[in-house]
Amino acid sequence: MRDHQVGSIRRDALTHADALYRLARHLTGNDAEAEDLVQDTYARAFAAEAEWDPGSSLRAWLFRILRNAHIDSWRRKRRSPLTGACDTDSFSDDLGIDEGIRGDQELARLRQVVASEIEAALAALSLDERTVIALDHEGLTEGEVARVLGCAVGTVKSRLSRARAQLRRRLRDYSR
Amino acid sequence: MDCTQARPSLLARNRGELEPNLEAELDAHLQTCSACRRYDQLESVLSEALARLPRRTAPATLKRTLEARYLPKHRLYLRAAAIALAATFGAGLLAIAVVPQTNSPKPMLTEAVNDHLRILYAERRVEVESGGIHQVKPWFEGRLDFAPLMPFAGDDDFPLQGGSVAWLLDRKAAAFVFRRRLHLVTVFVFRADGLSWPATNTSVGRLRGTEFTARGFHALFFRSSEQGYAIVSDVDPRELQALGTRLVQSLP
Repeated sequence: MRDHQVGSIRRDALTHADALYRLARHLTGNDAEAEDLVQDTYARAFAAEAEWDPGSSLRAWLFRILRNAHIDSWRRKRRSPLTGACDTDSFSDDLGIDEGIRGDQELARLRQVVASEIEAALAALSLDERTVIALDHEGLTEGEVARVLGCAVGTVKSRLSRARAQLRRRLRDYSR
Repeated sequence: MDCTQARPSLLARNRGELEPNLEAELDAHLQTCSACRRYDQLESVLSEALARLPRRTAPATLKRTLEARYLPKHRLYLRAAAIALAATFGAGLLAIAVVPQTNSPKPMLTEAVNDHLRILYAERRVEVESGGIHQVKPWFEGRLDFAPLMPFAGDDDFPLQGGSVAWLLDRKAAAFVFRRRLHLVTVFVFRADGLSWPATNTSVGRLRGTEFTARGFHALFFRSSEQGYAIVSDVDPRELQALGTRLVQSLP
């Protein structure tokens, strides 16, 4: 890859620093670790920049690297298996079919939740649930989310739906 | 279409991202299913709630560090010349040349202080707690691209608390955290190759190094063969020299 191409890719990649930082913040829960995770992400990305396919989504590539870096770090620290792929076990199977039959209280509660409560509820979700919600919130397409999570595009919609149902449950539980 | 098929598609429908035929099916289902209509309301309100999440941006210092580390560096030359004044004011030619920007050790000095602050502010200040240097040092294996030289295991004056991996500019560093009374002292050990090293301004016994102060924190830098050391704390610089002297004496 020519030098000017490398510089161009790096400049483009660095424009995603804010979005990467936001995901890192959701995954780690604190500013210092989020900064470290972003630094680690860029170091890994630029060490492997020749492998990036120019026809593919640069931001999806970066987000995938960030997620994998976080999983690697988490495994080292916790010494316990952590879901790496798009594993159904890390998503609730319950789409909340019964949730439709609820009073207006839950709606009213959701309308009143503040940012700190939403962040706390997000932090209580599994890694994959938190990730899919955060990626969707960043505006990634289904294809990009699938690329980041390493799963089929057709499963992203259902995984996002399940994760959001879990989030609503968490928020409802906080109000009790 | 049943509820299990309908609900995962509600978000895409509300965003206008659903294919027309699927949207028609979903609309038909919603007309007959009050539970899914309520679910749809919940999804909409949840989306509104998520929009209230803070839109954080990466810290400016982080962005500057990344740009300095990864973007091509350009040398800037500025040259201005003054045109000779008319004879009535006397003739003169003034040429100003600004020398090219050279690599400065300043980023390394300030980065070490920033890294020490990150450790102070972290929820877990060390990633491996000390059971002695023979426990802390092996922990770095596989986490760094070099073997940090740190024979000093701590003593009663500077007990070792533990270690972490840190970043210094473009490279990983081993952070050994010691305690001096109620203060934390971080010793960063890193590869010194390619770094612009500051001029020596302090000398104590075998220790030859550079003292630096930023934001109330003191730092002491020195090199030993291919590795650099940065000792950072808010304790008095003489105490940093005391720890530095112990480190230097323990090195081969």
